[in-house]
Amino acid sequence: MAHRILRDHDADGWERSDFPIVCESCLGDNPYVRMTKAEYDKECKICTRPFTVFRWRPGRDARYKKTEICQTCCKLKNVCQVCLLDLEYGLPVQARDTALNITTHDSIPKSDVNREYFAEEHDRKTRAGLDYESSFGKMRPNDTILKLQRTTPYYKRNRAHVCSFYIRGECTRGEECPYRHEMPETGELSQQNIKDRYYGVNDPVAMKLLGKAGEMGTLESPDDESIKTLYVGGLNSRILEQDLRDQFYAYGEIESIRILAEKACAFVTYTTREGAEKAAQELSNRLVVNGQRLKLMWGRPQAPRPDQDGSNQQGGVAHSGLLPRTIISQQHNQPPPMQQYYMHPPPPNQDKPYYPSMDPQRMGAVVSTQEAGGSSTESNGPSSSYMMPPHQPYPPAPYGYMPSPYQQQYPGPMHHHYAPPPAAYQSYPQQPRPESRPAPSPSAVSAPPPDNAPAGSGAPSGSSQQPPAASTTTDSSQ
Amino acid sequence: MPKIKTNRVKYPEGWELIEPTLLEIEAKMREAEIDTHDGKRKCEALWPIFKLSHQRSRYVYDLCYRREEISKELYEFCLDQNHADRNLIAKWKKSGYERLCCLRCIQPRDHNYGTTCVCRVPKHLREEKVVECVHCGCQGCASGD
Repeated sequence: MAHRILRDHDADGWERSDFPIVCESCLGDNPYVRMTKAEYDKECKICTRPFTVFRWRPGRDARYKKTEICQTCCKLKNVCQVCLLDLEYGLPVQARDTALNITTHDSIPKSDVNREYFAEEHDRKTRAGLDYESSFGKMRPNDTILKLQRTTPYYKRNRAHVCSFYIRGECTRGEECPYRHEMPETGELSQQNIKDRYYGVNDPVAMKLLGKAGEMGTLESPDDESIKTLYVGGLNSRILEQDLRDQFYAYGEIESIRILAEKACAFVTYTTREGAEKAAQELSNRLVVNGQRLKLMWGRPQAPRPDQDGSNQQGGVAHSGLLPRTIISQQHNQPPPMQQYYMHPPPPNQDKPYYPSMDPQRMGAVVSTQEAGGSSTESNGPSSSYMMPPHQPYPPAPYGYMPSPYQQQYPGPMHHHYAPPPAAYQSYPQQPRPESRPAPSPSAVSAPPPDNAPAGSGAPSGSSQQPPAASTTTDSSQ
Repeated sequence: MPKIKTNRVKYPEGWELIEPTLLEIEAKMREAEIDTHDGKRKCEALWPIFKLSHQRSRYVYDLCYRREEISKELYEFCLDQNHADRNLIAKWKKSGYERLCCLRCIQPRDHNYGTTCVCRVPKHLREEKVVECVHCGCQGCASGD
């Protein structure tokens, strides 16, 4: 095919590039990506100039995606070439611009020749090596944008499109139909226009996002003045106590930080109530640690236990208490529903150290529980595949905060993280909870008890992958 | 008028035995060619053509090489008269291609990334179990399956 062999590529000013400018979600979860490159294959959806189209499949269950706008247009707005969302924050152009108060969008002409001229000028300047100031490099992230940004990649947008024959009821392909057999989503959000999205005008998704952002108020302080503990949810194993300390130290003196790896959460207690309030106010919707967005709420106190003995008060600290009832799982983990507990013999005097061998449950006694519609199975000591004696509940301990005798040995058995329904609230303190965690998680606590399960579990649930985009591009010059 | 040499077909012996089947397949082929395209995808309309061509070639190949019921002469005659596809049969003689569906499916130039069609992948190595390849509608022509 002699199509472009004799032409001077620079003369017509059409765009050529070596690699697409693409966000993580569009590139997919697989670090190995096989991509085709087709020069001048399609015209840019915005400026209608021919450009190099890259096409790849972002993962096994994804459709093929290709670059939709040219690199010139994408650099002008600092967006992904495929999804037209911001490269750093994953937000639509309109949302990002309002959050950062950028107003240069008027300067990009939108119509006809004007637009083509602007694009060509811009392209020519870039190719000539003139370092035009990209205003996006200098943007300092402000609070609003941190609140709004997307922290993990969103692969649902890479799914196949909805089968239009299925909608009419006529899909004859059946099993082998590569399109989704679902009814399409309707509503205001589904009427989107690529040009509106690019120019940041009249974008329903952005408007919804901004609306929600406006309503994300600060965390209300609880009435109970003695609470100085904040609940931090959505942890993963890569977040260390030091990271949390770094985040929280600025607001007041931290009394303690307790991380509960099994529940992917932590409790930060301040010495003063004011410190806690300040932290809550500042961080409530903006807490991002190591790229992971964390949920911040107030801790709740535990009801006083009837057999509370001196050692508990000996610790003398504010108990982090139970999680607020309204917790919603930040990521995909659903909190197991609360369970009711039977009476269990109270632990022996806690003044002396308490060893696992003293606890019948740890030694493998079978405990039957009445569950509130839970997903837990009956703990059955050594025979259970998930349950191992170390995971069995300990005698009731104040939630989140161990009295000192316990502290050295069992820093981590806090499985009761979720507020029991009010009825069970009273009975809760008395009963150890036969815990069965289908998802074994590594214990991130510093002094794991010797018979605790070896932390050999799989990847932490919340971690987002960071695939190096090891992609190979093959020329498909035809 | 000068003598015009025409090519008159001289049928070798044994032709009468295979002629009916071949004619039948050819009739089906004609039907497939004039079929309407309603309710079918663009590529799907071509699938019967490939399927019948495969079937026809398969018949001739089987008779000669598998069942050994016709002579080489008759076999060559069929190929010359285009009752079977010579190139396709040439592939069938190779190991690994015994069940090849059509010649397009193994042509790397016709595919992205220079690979072969998905129908050539054995079913136990594939991710999607049910496929109809876009060229000929084949659902799996690897020799193993």
